[in-house]
Amino acid sequence: MASRSKLIATLAFFLMPLLLPGCITYQLLGGVEGGEVAYPSDRLVAGKTTLGEVLVLLGAPDKVERVEGGDLLIYQRAVLKRNQLSVGIPLAEFWRPGIDLAAYGALVRYDRLVLLFTPEGILSGAAYEKSSDHPYWKAMTSNS
Amino acid sequence: MKPTLSLGIWLLILALCTGCVVLGKNTEYQPFDPALLEPLLPGQSKAADVCKVLGAPSQVVELSNGNAYVYQRSVIKGTGVWLVLVSFLNGEEQHDRVVFFFDKNDLLTHYGMSLNAAKASYGFPF
Repeated sequence: MASRSKLIATLAFFLMPLLLPGCITYQLLGGVEGGEVAYPSDRLVAGKTTLGEVLVLLGAPDKVERVEGGDLLIYQRAVLKRNQLSVGIPLAEFWRPGIDLAAYGALVRYDRLVLLFTPEGILSGAAYEKSSDHPYWKAMTSNS
Repeated sequence: MKPTLSLGIWLLILALCTGCVVLGKNTEYQPFDPALLEPLLPGQSKAADVCKVLGAPSQVVELSNGNAYVYQRSVIKGTGVWLVLVSFLNGEEQHDRVVFFFDKNDLLTHYGMSLNAAKASYGFPF
């Protein structure tokens, strides 16, 4: 008798994954847009470095924008990560409301270099942010 | 190992490995040929010369002392793996981009080029 219930328990354990599809699913989604963004701070000198030198050094920017008092060159890389866990019992055939729970967290992190140029094409300011290294779970669990 | 346990493990492996894999690629236009850019010289070429070589730009941006013409091509590669309980989806988008800067007289002053579209790759999101 004991061996029979052990067999049933073993079979139930191994067959459970066959019954679970549609009930529990975990999805991991990732995405990257853009190449690595470098910040050679020693070669970017405000008041000295020219637009031409930046284009040779960093290549074409991802965005070009006009702002008051000059122009912006933006180099950017976006990194997406999304986790989703869904738990549902497909009872729609018998009970319309059913049970379906899902939780997900999506995070887009940016590496971004913004360079401001005067109308004459001289670098007047630079800002750099690298957030792709920021831990996913720390970002998702923080309140800020 | 007992036959039942062994059979069970094989059933589990078989069940968990059931799924499918999808690879997808989306290319927007053709890649740039850097050789086409050789006749375009800063200080000599005009906006019309650039358009004659590369066609209409993807974007034109008005700047404080002229205009910028942006030419962009994109490649997106996507990977999807669906198993029984778990699925992994990944996408990577990279661009070939050339930005030409013109002064107020439409004379080419600078241009910058980044060729990254070929670096787009298939992979997993981890």
